[in-house]
Amino acid sequence: MTDQQPLYQLRDLSKTYTRGKESISIFKGLDMDIQHGDFIAIMGPSGSGKTTLLNQLGGIDSPSSGQVVFEGKRIDNLSQGALAKWRSRNVGFIFQFYNLMPTLSAAQNVELPLLLTGLSGGERKKRVKTALEIVGIADRAGHKPRQLSGGQQQRVAIARAIVADPKILLADEPTGDLDRTTADEILGMLQQLNTELGKTIVMVTHDPSAAKYAKRELYLDKGEFVERGNRS
Amino acid sequence: MNEATLIRKGLFRKVLRAILMMVSISIAFFIFGVLGAVNKAFNAGVDVAAANRLVIVNAINFTVSMPYAYFGRVQGVDGITHVTHANWFGGYYQQPANFVQTFAVEPETYLDVYPELILPPEQREAWINTRTCLIVGQALATQYGWSLGDRIPLNSNIWQQADGSSDWDFDICGIFTAEDSSVPTNYAMFHYEYFNESLAFARDTIGWMILTTEDVSLNDQVADEIDAMFANSPAETETTTEAAFSQAFVEQLGNINLILTSVIGAAFATILMIVGTTLVLAINERTKEIAVLKTLGFQSGRIFRMILTESFLLSLIGGAIGLGLATALVMAAAEGFQAFLPGFRMPLSVVWQAFALMIAFALVTGFFPAFNAMRIRIVEAFGKL
Amino acid sequence: MKQLFAVIGMNVRSIPQRAGMSIATITSVAFMVAVLLGFLAMANGFEKTINGSGSDDVAVFLRGGSQAEVNSVLAREDARLIEVAPGIATDESGDPIMSAELYVIVDGTKRSSQTEANLPLRGVQQQAVNLRQNFALTGGRMFEPGTAELVVGEGVIREFEGFDLGQTIRLGSNTWTIVGTFSTGGSVFDSEVWADLGVVQNLYQRGSSVQSLRARLTSPDAIEDVRAYVEGEDRLNLDVTSEREYFADSAGGIATLLKFVGWPLSIVMAIGAFAGAWNTMYSSVDSRTREIATLRTIGFSGFTAFMGTLIESLVLALLGGALAILVIYILFNGNSASTLGGGFTQIVFSFEVTLGSVISGLVLALSVGFLGGIIPGIRAARVPLLAVHQN
Repeated sequence: MTDQQPLYQLRDLSKTYTRGKESISIFKGLDMDIQHGDFIAIMGPSGSGKTTLLNQLGGIDSPSSGQVVFEGKRIDNLSQGALAKWRSRNVGFIFQFYNLMPTLSAAQNVELPLLLTGLSGGERKKRVKTALEIVGIADRAGHKPRQLSGGQQQRVAIARAIVADPKILLADEPTGDLDRTTADEILGMLQQLNTELGKTIVMVTHDPSAAKYAKRELYLDKGEFVERGNRS
Repeated sequence: MNEATLIRKGLFRKVLRAILMMVSISIAFFIFGVLGAVNKAFNAGVDVAAANRLVIVNAINFTVSMPYAYFGRVQGVDGITHVTHANWFGGYYQQPANFVQTFAVEPETYLDVYPELILPPEQREAWINTRTCLIVGQALATQYGWSLGDRIPLNSNIWQQADGSSDWDFDICGIFTAEDSSVPTNYAMFHYEYFNESLAFARDTIGWMILTTEDVSLNDQVADEIDAMFANSPAETETTTEAAFSQAFVEQLGNINLILTSVIGAAFATILMIVGTTLVLAINERTKEIAVLKTLGFQSGRIFRMILTESFLLSLIGGAIGLGLATALVMAAAEGFQAFLPGFRMPLSVVWQAFALMIAFALVTGFFPAFNAMRIRIVEAFGKL
Repeated sequence: MKQLFAVIGMNVRSIPQRAGMSIATITSVAFMVAVLLGFLAMANGFEKTINGSGSDDVAVFLRGGSQAEVNSVLAREDARLIEVAPGIATDESGDPIMSAELYVIVDGTKRSSQTEANLPLRGVQQQAVNLRQNFALTGGRMFEPGTAELVVGEGVIREFEGFDLGQTIRLGSNTWTIVGTFSTGGSVFDSEVWADLGVVQNLYQRGSSVQSLRARLTSPDAIEDVRAYVEGEDRLNLDVTSEREYFADSAGGIATLLKFVGWPLSIVMAIGAFAGAWNTMYSSVDSRTREIATLRTIGFSGFTAFMGTLIESLVLALLGGALAILVIYILFNGNSASTLGGGFTQIVFSFEVTLGSVISGLVLALSVGFLGGIIPGIRAARVPLLAVHQN
C-alpha cells in the first residue's frame, strides 16, 4: 500500500430506496476520495443522506450502483459474510446512542471486537486496558453501561471502536446525545486519535461546532457534496 | 470473556424471565420423568417377559382352572425345555387388607422356567424338600419384615381346607431375589402338593401353566399343538407368549399408556407455547444489540449458533432439573410402591428419551428466534430506535 | 372507580398486542384445567356407576371371609335355609324374591385396544331382574331358562365387540346366542352378561354350587333380622351385607386413586402455568411502562395500575379455564371407558363432568391468574414517573 493510493475511493455512488411504489433517491453519482490520516466531518440537513453514506463506508449497507473501493479493493460487491469479516478487521464504529451491550461491563464491551481475532485471553486483556486508558476511563472498567454517564458510555464506545486497531473510525453523531462540555471532551479525544495515533476518521454531524474539530468539512445537500473548509 | 460469556449474558439478560422459563421446562420434564417411570413399571411384565416363554390358560378366561392331568400331557409336547404350573392362592396375612400375592406351584420346575429368580443353593435344596416351605420375594419379605426361618400363617379368601379352616401354616425357608431390579419380587410361592391335598373343593386342578420352548421359532408350533390337543374338551386352552399375556393384563386396567401420553403431551404443549413465544419476544427485544454485534463483524452463522445455544442451555438446564427431581421422587417412592408397582424406578430408557426430547425442544423453540436474529438487517435495526 | 375501569379496559384491550404470549398463557391454563377435569371426570363417573349399583333393601350373602363374589362358594342347601329367613320379601304368589347367582369370568374383546379383557358371565335365576333397580330390557327378549341364550348389558355392547343382538358368540368351548340387551341405568350390572344359572353351572362344570345369593328385604332395617338368623343357624357360614355396603367396600379404591393422581398432576402443571402467566404479565407491564407512567403522571393512582395488571392476568386465566371446561365437556362428558373392578372383571363407566369439578377447575385457574398477576402488578404500581421519557 502506498500513500498515493487513497484509503477509500467512492465512484459514481448512488443509493435509492423504494418505499411502496415510490422510489426515493438519497444520492446519485457521488465521487469521493478519503486519504489516510484524514478527519472528515460530513454535515447536512436531516434526510440529506449523511448516515446512508456512512453506512456505505462501513459496509453495513450496499449502494444501488457505483463502487466503494477500500485500499484498492471493491467492497460493495462482497458477500455479507465477507463484509462482516472485513468490518471486524478494518472498521471501528461509534454511534449516537453508544449501543453498548447492557449486560456486559465496560471492559467486556471493549473486548467484544477482539473475540473476532485470534488473540489470546491475556493479550486481549492487555489491549482492552490500553484502549480504556486511552479514552481515560480505565477506573470504570467493571461498571455496567447503565452505571455510567452518557459521556462515559461514549468513551467506552470509542475504546471499543479502536481496540482492534482498525484503519477507519466511523462516527455517527457521536455527540448528538451529550451536553456541550462533554461533547467537547469527546470531540477532543477523536481529534487526538487522529493527530497523535494517525486514525482516519469520518464523522457525521449536524452540529457546526462539532465539525470544527475535523480537518475537512463536507456539506451534503440533495445528494451532492459542497466542500466548506480544509484546515490541514 | 469468551463466546460462552456472551451466551450466558444473553440467556440471563432478564434473570427472572430465564428462571421462569426454566421452571416451566423443568415441570414438563418432571412430569415426563415420573409418568415415564410409572408407565415403564406398569409394562414391566411385558419388558421382563422371556421371548421363548409361553403361558397356557383356560380358553374361557385365565381365572378359570384346568385339570391337573393337562400338565402331564403338555410335558410330552416336542420343542419344550421346561414346563411348570401354578395356582392363585388369594392370600392375606393376619387381616384381609394385608394382601399377599401367593402362588401354589410345582417347586423345581417353576425355578427352571424362571431362571431370573435367584435362590441360594442351600435354600433351593430346602425349598424342594420341605412340604410346608414358603419362598418369599425380597420385596415382599421387606414389606412384612419376614426373615428366613419364620413360621407364618397365610389365609386364603378363596380356598378352604377340608377341615373348614382357610389358613395355612408355612415355614419361610427361602428368600428369592432377581437378577435385575425390574423383575418383580413382591410375591410368595409354596408347594402345590401341600395346597392340593388339604383342599376342601376343586382338587386336582391347576390355574395355569408356563413353559419354555427350545427356541423362539418353535413358539407358534408348540402353542398350536397344545391348543389342538385340548380342543373340543370342556376345558380348552389358550397358549400365548408371556409378553402378550402380560400386555393383555395391563390393558385390562384401561388404556394407561394413552392417559399418560395425553398428560405428558399436555405438559409439553404448554411449555412449548410459553417458552416458544417468550424466546421470540426476548430476541426481538435484543434486535439492536444483535445489530451491533453484526456491525462489529460477527458473522450471521455465529449469531444463529449463539442464540440456538441459549435455547439449548435453557432446555438442558430446565430439563435436567426436572428429570433430577423426577428421579429423586421415584427413588423416594420406590420402596412404598414396591408392593403394588414392583420395579418402580427411573429407567435408563426414560432418561435417554428425556434428553432426546430436550434437544428436540431446544431446536423447536430456538430455531425461529435464532433464524430471526440471523436475518436482522443492520440498517433496519438501527432505523427503529 | 371510574379510573379503575378505564385502566382495566386499557389492559384488557391491549391483550391482542401480545397475542403470542397471551395465547400461551391461556393454553397453559387450559391444559392444566383439562388434566384436572379429565381425571375428576373419570373418578366421578366411576364413583357414580358404583354408587348407583347398590340398594339398601337387597341383601347379599357370601361365604364367610370371602369378601367378594369372585372368591365365594355357596352350596344349594344354603339357599334353602335362607329362603325361610325372616325379613325376606315375597312376591304376589308368596315366593321369596331371591336369586342364586354364579359368574364365570370370560374373555371379551375390547373395542378400543382389541385385547381380551375379563367379563362376568352371570348365571341368574328369574327373580334377578326384580333385584336390580331400573332393570329394563332395551332390545330383544329375556333368555329362555335351560337354553344357551344371553342377555347383554349396554355397557358391554359399548366397550366390547361381538355382543350385538342376534349374534352368536363363543365363550370358552360353548356357543351362545344373544337374544336381548338390558340396562340398569348405568350401574355395574350394565357391564355384565347374563344367562340362566342352571345352564352356566352345567356348561362350566360348577355342579350345583353358586357364589352368591341376593334377596329383597321387606325393609332396609330387616337386614339385622336376617343377620341374626344366619348367625344363629349353625349350618350357615355366611357374611350378610346390604348391596349398597357391598359395592361401597369393594370399589372406593379406584376413584380415590384417580383423584390422588389427578390433583397432584394438575397442581404441578399449575406451577408451570403460573410461571407462564407471571412471564406474560411481566412482559405486559414491560411493554406498557411508558403508558403506565403517563397515566400516573396525569394523576392515576398506583393502585389502578396494579389492579389493571392483576385483572388482565385473571381474565387470561379465566379464558383458559373456560376453554378447558368447554373442550373437556364436549369431548369427554358421557364418553365410555372401562377398567378392572373389584370383582376382577371390567366395569364400564361414563366420564362425568360435575359442577363440583368445574368449580375446582375454575378455582385452580383463577389461583394461577391471581398469583401470576400479583407481582407484575406490584411492579406496575411502582413504575417511576420518569419512565414517561423512556424511548
